[in-house]
Amino acid sequence: MIPTNQVYMAELLDKMYRNSKEAIFFIGNEGKIMAMNPAAENIIDIEIIEQMYSNKEVSICQTCVGYTNEEAMISCLNCYLANPEEDFSSFQVYFNTKDLGVVPYAASYHTIDELQGIHVFMLLDLTKQFKTQEMLYRSNMTKYVIKAQEDERKRISRELHDSVAQELLSSLVDLRVLKYMNVDEVVLNKLQQTEASLTRLLEEIRHLSVELRPASLDDLGLEAAFRSHFKWVEKNYGFLVRFSSELSSARYNNEIETVVYRICQEAILNALKYANTDEVHVTLFESQGKLQLVVRDEGSGFNLNSRDVKGTGLGLFGMRERTELVHGQLMMRSEIDQGTVIHLSIPVSPNE
Amino acid sequence: MNDESNVDYQQEIDTLRNRFGFDFVSIALVQPAEDQFVLTWQYVSGNLNKRYKRIVLYSGKGVAGIVFKTGKPIFMEDVNMGLDSKDLFNYPIIIAEQLQSLGAVPLWKGNRVMGVLLVGFRHGNQLTEDIFEEFQSEIEPVFGSLDTKEMVDQ
Repeated sequence: MIPTNQVYMAELLDKMYRNSKEAIFFIGNEGKIMAMNPAAENIIDIEIIEQMYSNKEVSICQTCVGYTNEEAMISCLNCYLANPEEDFSSFQVYFNTKDLGVVPYAASYHTIDELQGIHVFMLLDLTKQFKTQEMLYRSNMTKYVIKAQEDERKRISRELHDSVAQELLSSLVDLRVLKYMNVDEVVLNKLQQTEASLTRLLEEIRHLSVELRPASLDDLGLEAAFRSHFKWVEKNYGFLVRFSSELSSARYNNEIETVVYRICQEAILNALKYANTDEVHVTLFESQGKLQLVVRDEGSGFNLNSRDVKGTGLGLFGMRERTELVHGQLMMRSEIDQGTVIHLSIPVSPNE
Repeated sequence: MNDESNVDYQQEIDTLRNRFGFDFVSIALVQPAEDQFVLTWQYVSGNLNKRYKRIVLYSGKGVAGIVFKTGKPIFMEDVNMGLDSKDLFNYPIIIAEQLQSLGAVPLWKGNRVMGVLLVGFRHGNQLTEDIFEEFQSEIEPVFGSLDTKEMVDQ
């Protein structure tokens, strides 16, 4: 330790007291405020300060709302003022501040002079930390929701494909057998119509299953899943997807593949709905240890900063959330009448 | 593909387009079982582009799919009134041909719908109920006899 003399020490303490961002109160018996530093004065109500300067007795209780203990978020039970011998080296306290209403602070309360019963009470603003925590909580929550949705889709899709479609197929086979039995013309005709409807139904169920979550994504990988999805988009919407991929049949972590697939799906749907164009370019490749997806259209584009949302506004948000799931990066570039480019890159470790 | 009935279709829709002044007329036909009975726009008149060729509709999807499934005509005097713009992308032919006012009727063969006839204008409110009714009675003699005609290429 650097040797310091008493005077120097006092000077440092004084500076700390005056300039600290932490609010420091010196508290006497029964919570009487004996002194406070400028940071503390910034927090509490001007009336209380005035009362203090007019030599009235002011208690910390006038501004304190309560603290957090095991039982409640804001409580006065077992108040730190009443039980100085208990450990109050770190706790959370709520203060009624002059500008911001009730605000949480991280506090510590120690006895510094036992004889005269003087304590020091220090407050650190927690608002910012709380916001960070809340954001973290919210984004974790979204991730869980996305994951739950994906799992559920997978389950229903498998169920449709493996059990419903299979059962239907076997009934269809039974029906076909009927045709070779001795039935008259009218029945045969009706039979053919029924067979046609059932075949169509089977096809519809398969489509539903793929729409929910393509089995090819799990079994064959991104490229295969994309190709069949793009074909489907082209047929259903007359919307052409020009796809070029340099991945061949490389496989990635399941989570990454899902994210890439969903983001691309969303990006294409956006182009289809809003870009006033009838084709989009999709490029999939790997470079610099990153899996990259580029979705580009030459449509009407939009203003990235504009608040005038065309859809639910959740699409782009969901794309960002999904990107965060796999620690990727999502870049968006769009200009009115110049089209839109979405560029997704996800780091992939070489052994995957 | 080029049997005589094809020529008839093309002629019929060209005539219809001239007769009523439609901007766009098209016929979607159900494809045979090998193609899972999808509907595709086979004959067009007054098209802006060839995007219609890409569209393949399943029963219940798109203009043709809905008419096919329900067996009932669709009539939209003004597309913006009849459809939510968020839902419009589900009707690719409307987007591809920029239709603003349209009607579509089922074409019957026996007791099954085998095709869909679509007529439309590129400006709103041009296809009024009266015109649509007149159009429907006009096509009766031409397309109403479909059940005796062999239309689908087998």
